[in-house]
Amino acid sequence: MPQVTRAGLFEDEVKVCTAALRLILQILNWEFRCNSNGKKGVNVFSSGIRHDTSLSSRTECILVQPGPGWRDILISSGDIVWLLNLYTALRRKFSHEGFSIDCLIAVSARKLILQYCSLTGTIFPSDNGQLQEHHLLQLLSGIIPWIDPPDLVSKQIECGTSESEMLDGCRALLAMATVTSPTMFNQLLKSIRPFGTFTLLSTLMCEVIKVLMTKDPDEETWSWEARDILLDTWTALLMPLGSAAGIVLLPPEGVDAAATLFTYIVESELKAASASAFNDDSDSDYIYTSISAMDERLSSYALIGRAAIDFAIPLLTRHCTERFSRLHQGGGSFDPTETLEELYSLLLITGHVLADEGEGETPLVPIAIQRRFADFVEPDNNPVVILCSSIIRFAEQSLNPESRSSFFSPRLMEAIIWFLARWSQTYLMSPEESQDSSYSSKVDNMHQVQSIGSGRTVLRYFSEYDHGKTVLDIIVQVAITTFMSYPGEKFLQGLTCYQLLHALVRQKNICIHLVTLESWSKLAIAFANEKTLFMLSASHQKSLAQTLVLSASGFRDSEPANQYVRNLMGHMTTYLVEISSRNDLKRVAEQPDIILSVSCLLERLRGAASATEPRMQKSIYEMGFSILNSTLILLAVYKHESAVIYLLLKFVVEWVDGQITYLEAQETTVVIDYCMRLLQLYSSHNIGKISLSLSSSLLNDAKTEKYKDLRALLQLLSSLCSKDLVDFSSDSLEAHGTSISQVVFYGLHIVTPLISLELLKYPKLCRDYFSLLSHMLEVYPEMVGQLNKEAFSHILETLEFGLHHQDSEVVNMCLRALRALASYHYKETVSGKMGLGSHASSLRNPKGELQEGIFSRFLRTTLQLLLFEDYSPDLVGAAADALFPLILCEQGLYQKLGNELIERQANQTFKSRLTNALQSLTSSNQLSCTLDRMNYQRFRKNLTNFLIEVRGFLRIV
Amino acid sequence: MSDEEHHFESKADAGASKTYPQQAGAIRKNGYIVIKNRPCKVVEVSTSKTGKHGHAKCHFVGIDIFNNKKLEDIVPSSHNCDVPHVNRTDYQLIDISEDGFVSLLTETGGTKDDLRLPTDETLLAQIKDGFAEGKDLVVTVMSAMGEEQISTLKDIGPKN
Repeated sequence: MPQVTRAGLFEDEVKVCTAALRLILQILNWEFRCNSNGKKGVNVFSSGIRHDTSLSSRTECILVQPGPGWRDILISSGDIVWLLNLYTALRRKFSHEGFSIDCLIAVSARKLILQYCSLTGTIFPSDNGQLQEHHLLQLLSGIIPWIDPPDLVSKQIECGTSESEMLDGCRALLAMATVTSPTMFNQLLKSIRPFGTFTLLSTLMCEVIKVLMTKDPDEETWSWEARDILLDTWTALLMPLGSAAGIVLLPPEGVDAAATLFTYIVESELKAASASAFNDDSDSDYIYTSISAMDERLSSYALIGRAAIDFAIPLLTRHCTERFSRLHQGGGSFDPTETLEELYSLLLITGHVLADEGEGETPLVPIAIQRRFADFVEPDNNPVVILCSSIIRFAEQSLNPESRSSFFSPRLMEAIIWFLARWSQTYLMSPEESQDSSYSSKVDNMHQVQSIGSGRTVLRYFSEYDHGKTVLDIIVQVAITTFMSYPGEKFLQGLTCYQLLHALVRQKNICIHLVTLESWSKLAIAFANEKTLFMLSASHQKSLAQTLVLSASGFRDSEPANQYVRNLMGHMTTYLVEISSRNDLKRVAEQPDIILSVSCLLERLRGAASATEPRMQKSIYEMGFSILNSTLILLAVYKHESAVIYLLLKFVVEWVDGQITYLEAQETTVVIDYCMRLLQLYSSHNIGKISLSLSSSLLNDAKTEKYKDLRALLQLLSSLCSKDLVDFSSDSLEAHGTSISQVVFYGLHIVTPLISLELLKYPKLCRDYFSLLSHMLEVYPEMVGQLNKEAFSHILETLEFGLHHQDSEVVNMCLRALRALASYHYKETVSGKMGLGSHASSLRNPKGELQEGIFSRFLRTTLQLLLFEDYSPDLVGAAADALFPLILCEQGLYQKLGNELIERQANQTFKSRLTNALQSLTSSNQLSCTLDRMNYQRFRKNLTNFLIEVRGFLRIV
Repeated sequence: MSDEEHHFESKADAGASKTYPQQAGAIRKNGYIVIKNRPCKVVEVSTSKTGKHGHAKCHFVGIDIFNNKKLEDIVPSSHNCDVPHVNRTDYQLIDISEDGFVSLLTETGGTKDDLRLPTDETLLAQIKDGFAEGKDLVVTVMSAMGEEQISTLKDIGPKN
């Protein structure tokens, strides 16, 4: 195949040549399946889409891995030399005759060269990479004029030359970085230039960033794209795909290159920051958006920084301290905005270099930091300790009102809080260090100190035995400051609640110290009493309540933990009870200030309830118990204030969900009675209610609110259900005459009329509803027999509706419920009992019409569905499981329906086919009349065969 | 509008404040706010900053609860906004008069006859039809800042 391209380059053959290049490119795009022995020449390829998922996030760099059989054709044949010469010839031609390097043949040639760069795997023999090195060197010497010297190349592009060649050059570097080790990568260029590839990469990237800095940040330019490709190249070198957390050793030249580049990056980011300090493009400035947009870039920067960690940390320290002192010297005489913006960027970069993101796990100290600085065992000299301490000291200054007002802007505080959150997850009171310390104190302590690296030094410095407690205290105080002194700064306070404080209480060893801190109890007291904290956004108050309650897990015993929760939440329950028992409640309830207080209280209680842990369970139960009556009063008073109602329901859901499994029978009865009263009250307020509004958006809002309410009620019932499955109490509920299933059925009976068909269009509500219903029918089929007529017919209609729902998951749940009902009934009647009794048999209603029993009705529906309607093939199994017991329950009707079907067929062939199929549906595979696993399986098989046999012509004829 | 205001003042709670101050940052979506002297339901809140290192400000989009017009406002989030006292009262509908007024039964047994039917056709139809069918209807009257209007309708017919 490649021989095609040996044809020379004549004007009229350009097209042929281009086509040939593209053909080879396509062949190289095959997904080669490498068989390990690789004996046979040509490997098979599988058609279809390639699944390089791990690579997809990076700039497209697809590894080409044909087997050894391709070696002769692709590498040894010399085609690469020809291809490179072809492109060089093209280039020369362009420079003379003014052609564009974007013409088709040039683009194809470059693409093919890129593809050659991505060759890897068994195509190269195991000769220590010699052939591969030779191959890449060959390519690199062809590519190098595209990107070297960088300043010249970029100048040409700025003067109007097309950038595509340069970008392809960067992509080639990325491909090579992906298939080689850092050492080999660096070595490649050495034979043709006095410096290594790393140096080139670094200069190239500095050049690109230099150009980028002159551009409008919103404009997508070539330098933008080039920077991303080059960043990916660094990432590929520093974090190879195969090695998850392994450490990559760079050659010394690589480290130097990384250091140069990192310096340049930091400087240009700082320049960009101070230049944009007065920009007022509001929306993009929030830390959430700016971090998520910059995150990938910042992590790549951090990788480069960590590659030259000895250099990066002191550099960052220098930059930080310089700006800290600039702020102090300024006093108030100059506008600090530029410095603030620079610090903002610096904190983000430093945070990324020092620590990884947790994402729910406790992140480890980055390996680069762990391994380096081994000679700085003395913490006062350790660069990492110095950097962290200086930032923490700076953060501490925000406690001083004077400096706060002069330079701690909300935005700077956001960066500080973000940094503290990220940093404390890795470094503050690391559990690793605590364990080791307690261990090493017993063993030879001196010996341990000798052998620890820098990571240990830092961890030890910030551990609970050293400066950890002081730092934790500072962090808590800074957090309090953001609540008390930055009124209305929702984003800042949100960061403090969700990122910083949540991260702290997630770690048990931190909780142990939190609860002993004076600042923490100051926060708790302020939370309970301060008016300012009632001004926080309600969801932040919820989160804060949760955080404070969770910290109680730091107490060793449950008694002080419960006492702590009581002290914390006591005020709120008292206050809520007070409000609800006011004589003039009806009149004042709708005043905005009262609504605000009630909403905030409910959100706080909900936050506390969601933090239920065994240790604090008792006090949280008491907390909820003391306001049960109040909530019912409020539910009545606020029946028109849907926002309050929703908060109230959510509190109840959260509280019941957290408590139910722990409750003793006595308490459970109380809770259940309460829930039923709540349901009835809610239902009496809302049934038959129509909201009138001219505005469709307000009307939609009203509908959404209702949907959310109902969903909460269903969740409440579901959590009641769970009591039957998980129960930690000492005595059984039945002894007290309460049956969970009865209660839940009754609850369903109340809720069902509120759920209109309109509301079932909300998929989440629909699923919740059907899963609860089918769960109930599956687990407690015996309850159905005891339901009254109205409740029963509700369930029937719901199932009927569900069977025709478009969501196959819903249909599936209905089929499962049917199976449960029918098999229960069949088993009961076979053993001579009632089963579902009157519900199952046909009855004449008062008007004299014959009403079919439930099973006859569903036998018809299910058969109709299976034979004539559209459904997902996944449902056949579930349908078979439902159909089998249905047939057994109603054998007479089944025969009748079968005969009707047969008689409707006019065509004799079809008639006999149908007869046989129906026959074998119930008789083949030794199907018998007992409902056991074997029979269900046999029937599944039979039904599939039956459908294959007859559904086709039944639907057409 | 003006004569409705007059009637409102004669009510028992006329002395109560019509609006209350509340910190802008604490006002949530679905809450109420006064914009340009009109009571609104908040349908959108967004925050931005005055300059990069300035303080937060809230941008509210509200819908006038009476005439459904869209209104917008920007307030520094630590400042106070006016929040209307929105009151809702249930009355049983006892009559619809020829001239477009409704007659409502108050809790104390008196009647309230000063309220017009809603102007919107569909809403009007729902009330009129329901009433004509002899259903027991309860209407909720929403009032704020001296205006009032029927806001919801509930059939408390045979079921309860």
